[in-house]
Amino acid sequence: MTYNIAMVCDFFFPQPGGVESHIYQLSTKLIDRGHKVIVITHAYEGRTGVRYLTNGLKVYHVPFFVLYRETTFPTVFSFFPIFRNIIIRESVEIVHGHASLSSFCHEAILHARTMGLRTVFTDHSLFGFADAASILTNKLLKFTLSDVDHVICVSHTCKENTVLRASLDPLMVSVIPNAVVAENFRPLAHQEHVTSPVDGRPLHHSLRPHDTITIVVISRLFYNKGTDLLIAAIPRICAAHPYVRFIIAGSGPKAIDVEQMLERNVLQDRVDMLGPVRHEEVRDVMVRGHIYLHPSLTEAFGTVIVEAASCGLYVVCTRVGGIPEVLPPHMTTFAKPEEDDLVAATSKAIAALRQGRLETGRFHEQVRTMYSWTDVAERTERVYDGISGVLSEEEFYGSSTGEGWSAARGRAGVQSFALIDRLKRYYGCGIWAGKLFCLCVVIDYLIFVFLELWAPRDRIDAVRDWPRKPPLRESSSATNAAIGLGRKRSARYRDQGWEG
Amino acid sequence: MPPPPSALRITRPTPTTISFTVSTRAPLETISARVLHYLSLALRVVIASAILFLLWTKWELLYPSVEGGGVPKWLVSSWPGKIATLMAKGVMTRYLVPLAGGVLWLCARRGYTEESLLVLRGLGIQTTSSSSTYLSTNSTRFIPTTSIQDIFIHEAFKMFEVRFYLAIVVEGEQDVVVVFPSLLPSLTILEEVWRGARSCLYEPKT
Repeated sequence: MTYNIAMVCDFFFPQPGGVESHIYQLSTKLIDRGHKVIVITHAYEGRTGVRYLTNGLKVYHVPFFVLYRETTFPTVFSFFPIFRNIIIRESVEIVHGHASLSSFCHEAILHARTMGLRTVFTDHSLFGFADAASILTNKLLKFTLSDVDHVICVSHTCKENTVLRASLDPLMVSVIPNAVVAENFRPLAHQEHVTSPVDGRPLHHSLRPHDTITIVVISRLFYNKGTDLLIAAIPRICAAHPYVRFIIAGSGPKAIDVEQMLERNVLQDRVDMLGPVRHEEVRDVMVRGHIYLHPSLTEAFGTVIVEAASCGLYVVCTRVGGIPEVLPPHMTTFAKPEEDDLVAATSKAIAALRQGRLETGRFHEQVRTMYSWTDVAERTERVYDGISGVLSEEEFYGSSTGEGWSAARGRAGVQSFALIDRLKRYYGCGIWAGKLFCLCVVIDYLIFVFLELWAPRDRIDAVRDWPRKPPLRESSSATNAAIGLGRKRSARYRDQGWEG
Repeated sequence: MPPPPSALRITRPTPTTISFTVSTRAPLETISARVLHYLSLALRVVIASAILFLLWTKWELLYPSVEGGGVPKWLVSSWPGKIATLMAKGVMTRYLVPLAGGVLWLCARRGYTEESLLVLRGLGIQTTSSSSTYLSTNSTRFIPTTSIQDIFIHEAFKMFEVRFYLAIVVEGEQDVVVVFPSLLPSLTILEEVWRGARSCLYEPKT
C-alpha cells in the first residue's frame, strides 16, 4: 500500500533547522519506499512557487504573510482554497503536519479533516503550561488535535507533554525519534587524524595534561537554547581549566551578550565565535573539538547531540526534556540546567577525557546503528497503515484496548469523518472554546461546500507524478526482525495492496 | 477559478509552420454558427451607430450649430431621427452619456478570449493575445529562434490555485514569456502545444 502524502509545515528549507531537515529526510526516505510525498510551506525570500528537490520531492512555497520567526499569520480559513487545490491536483490521501508553532500545519489539519483525509501530526517541541503564550498555543493545539488521526512525538518526554497539553488519548500518540544521516557526521578519518606534533599519537586518545581540549557549542543563540547559562559558565570553565578552548557557532539575538561576556573577561583568544554555519559545515566544526556542550533549557529531542556523538565528541548536556532518552549513558554527562552544575559536569568530562577513560572512537559506529532515517520512515509508514485501516485496531494500538474506548472512533480504530462526530470531538474542548471551535468547524465545512461549487473538482488538472520507486518489500529490510510479529502481517497487507 | 473551458485549434499550412489557437469561443464550423456570428456583428454595428446618432442629436439640442451644419434635415425628419429627438429631449445628459458609453463598450467588447502561438521553423515563435475589445489591436510578440533557449511547462500560484503554464525562456531577459497568459489552458492542451512546438521549432534529429 503506497500513499500520497502531503507534509505541511511553516518551516522548511532554505531555512536551516531540526524540523526542516526532519521533514526533508523523512520525505526522501518515504519516496524511497514508493510513496509520493509533497511538501507545502510558505514562500521564503527568493524561494517561491513550485520547486522540485532531489529525489522528486515537490515543494509548494505558498505565498503567505509571514508574522514572526518564519511563522505565518494564523487566519484559520484563508489557506483553504489554495490548500484544497493542491490536495486535489496532487490527489493527496494523508496530510502530515509538523511543529506545533506552525499555523500552516494547524490549518491544514483542520481543512484536511473537513475534506475527508487522514491526518497525522508530528510534534517537535516541548511547551510549558503556565505562561500566557503557552496557554494560547496549547488551546490552539487542543483545537487541532481534537480531530486528528494520529500524533507522532520525537521523544517520550515530548509525548507526555503533548498528551497533557492537548488532552489526547495516549494510545493515539506514537514516539518516533529523529535520526541523523550518520555518513554526514563522520569523525576525522585515521589519516587526517589530528596527531600531536611530538610523538605522532592521535590526539583523541589519552590527552596529556597540557594538550588543549576544545569544547564545541553549536546552537542558535536564543534564550530557550540556554545561551545565558553558557554565558555564565564559560568564564568559570576557562578560569578553572587553562588548557581549554571554546568554539561557538550559531547566531541569534543573544550573540551580542556572548560577545560582551568575552570582552568583559578578555577571553577572545580562547573562545572562537564562528557566527552562523550552514548545516553541511556543522561536521567540519564539530570534528575540531573533543567535547560538545549543550546547555539548552528545553529540548524535545536534540538532534544536534546525536550529530556530535556521531562525530566522536563526548557530550555534556543539561538534563531537560527528551535529552536523557537520546544517547546511552557512556556518551554523555548530564547536568542540571544551572550554572554550578554545568561547570561541574564539564570539569568532570574534561577530567575523564584527560584520563583517557572515554572511548569516543567507537561513538560513530554506535550512533550509526542506533539512528537511521530509513527506520524512521518505516515506523511512520506503519502509522499511516494504522490510520488508513490497513492494520487492524488491535494490531496498531495493541491488544489491550477495550472495546469502544472512544465514542467517536469508528471501524478499526479509524476516526470517522461525519461532521456530527467531528463536532462532538471539538465540543469537549472547553466551555467557551468548545463552542467557538464548533463554529469554526461548521464555517470551514460551509467554505468547503462553497469551494466545491465555485471550483469543481473535475476542472482541476491532476499533475503528472514523478516516476515512483517500486515499493520496498518488508523482508528486504534488516530492522524488521526487531519489530516483531505484528509487522509481518502488515507486510502481507501491503503486498496484497500493490499486487492485486 | 479553474481554467475556463477552451478549445485548441491547430492549423498547419506548411510542414515547417504550425499555429496553435486557444479560444473560449466555440469554433465556427457549422453554417448556423457562422450566420449567428455575423448577425451578432451586424447587430453590434447597428446598435453602436444608433447610439452615436442619439448622442449627436443630443449635442445638437444642447449646442445648436449654425445653419448648414449639424444633423442633415432629411435625417431629422425620418423616423429614426424623430425617435432620437424624442429620446434626446426626454433623457437628461447626466443619465444619457454614461448609459450610452456603457452600451457602446458592450458593443465593442469581444466577448471571448483567443490566444495563439505560431511556430515557424528557422524563424521563430509569435505569440498573440486577442484584445478585449474590437477597437484595439491584438498584442503580438515575435521571438526569433536564435534567442529562444527553452520551452517548458511548469506550475505557479495564481490567485487561490496552482496552474500550469507554458513558458519560453528568452536569452537576455529576466522573466520568461508565458504563452496563453490570460487563458492558461488545461494541461492536456498545454502538453499538445508543447510537443507540437518543440517538434516544429527544432529540426528532427536524424
